[in-house]
Amino acid sequence: MRRLIEFVVRFKNYITLSTLVVMSFALMSVGNLSQLGGFRAVIVGSIGWMQSLFAWIPNPVALKSENVALRELNLQLAVESARSRQSMVENSTLRKMLELPQYTDYTLIAADVVGKTTTQLRNYATINKGTKDGVREGMSCITDAGLVGIVIGASQHYAVLQLLINRDTRVSAKDQRTRVDGIIQWEGENFLVLKDVPRAYDVQAGDLILTSSYSARYPANIVIGRVVDVGDESNSLFRRIVVEAAVNFATLEQLFVVDTRSSSERAELERLTDERQRQRSTP
Amino acid sequence: MALNFDVQRSHLMATPSLRFILYAVVALILAVIHVVFLGYISVSSVTPDLLLLFTVWVALVEGQFTGMVAGFLCGLLFDVVSADVLGANALAKTLAGFTAGYFWREGFAMVTIGHYRYLMIVAIAGVIHNLVYYLLYVQPMQIDFLMFFLKYGVATTLYSTVAAVFPMLYVNRRRDQ
Repeated sequence: MRRLIEFVVRFKNYITLSTLVVMSFALMSVGNLSQLGGFRAVIVGSIGWMQSLFAWIPNPVALKSENVALRELNLQLAVESARSRQSMVENSTLRKMLELPQYTDYTLIAADVVGKTTTQLRNYATINKGTKDGVREGMSCITDAGLVGIVIGASQHYAVLQLLINRDTRVSAKDQRTRVDGIIQWEGENFLVLKDVPRAYDVQAGDLILTSSYSARYPANIVIGRVVDVGDESNSLFRRIVVEAAVNFATLEQLFVVDTRSSSERAELERLTDERQRQRSTP
Repeated sequence: MALNFDVQRSHLMATPSLRFILYAVVALILAVIHVVFLGYISVSSVTPDLLLLFTVWVALVEGQFTGMVAGFLCGLLFDVVSADVLGANALAKTLAGFTAGYFWREGFAMVTIGHYRYLMIVAIAGVIHNLVYYLLYVQPMQIDFLMFFLKYGVATTLYSTVAAVFPMLYVNRRRDQ
């Protein structure tokens, strides 16, 4: 017994280190903060409240970047405005002719970004709308430019978004021109990568990438970004397609939460099919 | 004379329980400052790691054992307030505290912190911290770890080392008084 105590005293630093390392890995295996439920809502609310208190402090770097972006946007909008006037007339006529169903109008909840955690690559944002305003976990967020991210937690007055430029984000996407499908993932800075596109498929630089209707989490046909580079992945049958996000996350201040609730009928059908497949594969 | 400046000077610092409560309060304040204010001084999304500086400080003042525990708790606190994966920062900061603890010399804490050695210790602990943290960070992504570490890990370490100049100068100045 004395020897054991002597051993523990002698190697207490290494024993403590091993214990803490094991505890850290155990915590990591538990998963992210969303599994802490109510505790998380308290943290989100408190941090959001503190960030909103200091949201009035201007960030000169972000302001300069926002000015440049707004000037470019203004120029683009002037051109787009003229085009869209003509397109609206054409569109209306064509819809009537083809009897296309009207697109579903999503309910949008306007929100201000009161805090951003883009430091050290933890790309989350806090908005000043919460469960009281109808914001729920799993709702997606957009701006006029395109897809921003998804709500991963909400308290009464605040919600936290996982931005598109987050390592955990996966979005089912398609090429607007060729309808080629793939999965959008973030790989650093403002660039995304469209994965799982075979080499034989037609995707070119300049193509617009939209959310796919395959996704139950994101509404379909929301702009994600534009293809800036197409190459071939080494030792792979797939292409490496680099996409520049449409949204400028550095200057993100206002956004809309899209009140989409995925169809319970669809979710139920997909769940039943999964179960049936699993039963068939079990001997 | 210089050594007398050490923790024995005030009653607060001489009482271990009060000292540890003070450490907890400082860690909480630093975590909140990090999340709420550090975006204003970020350079290309890189910010100094205030809790790493604090972990190194505690390890140099209290020793390796306390440094490790402080690193674990600071990391856990940061994981909670920054909505990160629980345990990632805790692991990285535990190892940083363990590394910094090797430089602990009884009664010489403020001499070490008020010297350039503190910057070197922060840099070494920072490299260990960021190696571990970014290794865990890039795991779910299909990107080259080395390039990612050279880009973000080294930059974060350098920025933290630069920020460590302030506590170093503060201690240096107080020691001279």
